[in-house]
Amino acid sequence: MALDFAGESEAREDAVAGLISTNTFWTLWLFVHLMLAVGLLGALTHQAMAVALPARRAAGGIVSRFRAVPAAGYASAVCVLWLLTFIVGSYIYTKYRVQIRIPLEAAHYYKTGGFFDFKEHVAAMGLLLLPAYWYFWKNAHNPDYDNARTGVTLVLAAMCWFMFIVGHVLNNARGFAS
Amino acid sequence: MTAAAPSRTAPPTSSLAASRRFGTFATTFSLCGPIAYCLVQYFNLPLLTYWPATGRLVFGYDGGRSGEGPNMLWYGWILTAILIVTGLSLLATMLPERIIRKIPLALIWILPILVIPYIVYSLMPWWIMAAK
Repeated sequence: MALDFAGESEAREDAVAGLISTNTFWTLWLFVHLMLAVGLLGALTHQAMAVALPARRAAGGIVSRFRAVPAAGYASAVCVLWLLTFIVGSYIYTKYRVQIRIPLEAAHYYKTGGFFDFKEHVAAMGLLLLPAYWYFWKNAHNPDYDNARTGVTLVLAAMCWFMFIVGHVLNNARGFAS
Repeated sequence: MTAAAPSRTAPPTSSLAASRRFGTFATTFSLCGPIAYCLVQYFNLPLLTYWPATGRLVFGYDGGRSGEGPNMLWYGWILTAILIVTGLSLLATMLPERIIRKIPLALIWILPILVIPYIVYSLMPWWIMAAK
């Protein structure tokens, strides 16, 4: 069974073509993806610092204050941001596959392409970790979950940093407007 | 040690977060997720295949077709993995509490790290081309 979305996709691009170019359209979506990723990275980094290096005093230098955030309050925001970043990333991935990856391969940027595929697998695995992550943080009063909560938060933060850096390098190698 | 106690909160007010059954579902989902995803990718079992150049969506796996550009299996892999782990997680909610309690929760964050070598291996065509 096959569905054809070609007409729908062309109609959408035609609709924006009068206002902005196709490149601008996709660059704007990439920008939205970036903004969501920045929010996610900030939230997860705060949370990871709070669980890995808990602040002894709420006040102090900038590093202490960075670590002294109420980490549990970030859990739902992190889940929503991960989901939104993932959905927008999945949307622009279709254009990447045709407009970016093929020229990347032609230019022999194989490591860049390989790391981007790696990033996609990491994003999918991070998505699958979210239910437990959310549950552990919503039950932060329960000491049974302390180690698992710390581990999942640190793994998600590491994944987010990895994806952010790979995405950034890929955009430098060949963004939508290049 | 934690005078600021940033990570402690009051017991959950949301019924979902307070539900033991949801806890079993969520932990099983995340525990099995990375393994299920890697197995789905290894055996190439996408729920659907998407052709970005032509906008064609096919249920199940669909190999290369001349003149239609590259196909995308990633969406299909994720959907298959989600379906599998949802089924497993629903089954886990029916298990007795004493069995669920025996599952080490640390596996939830250890397994995603352990599957990294497989992910790197699965991308071998890229690394081989880069080395040439």
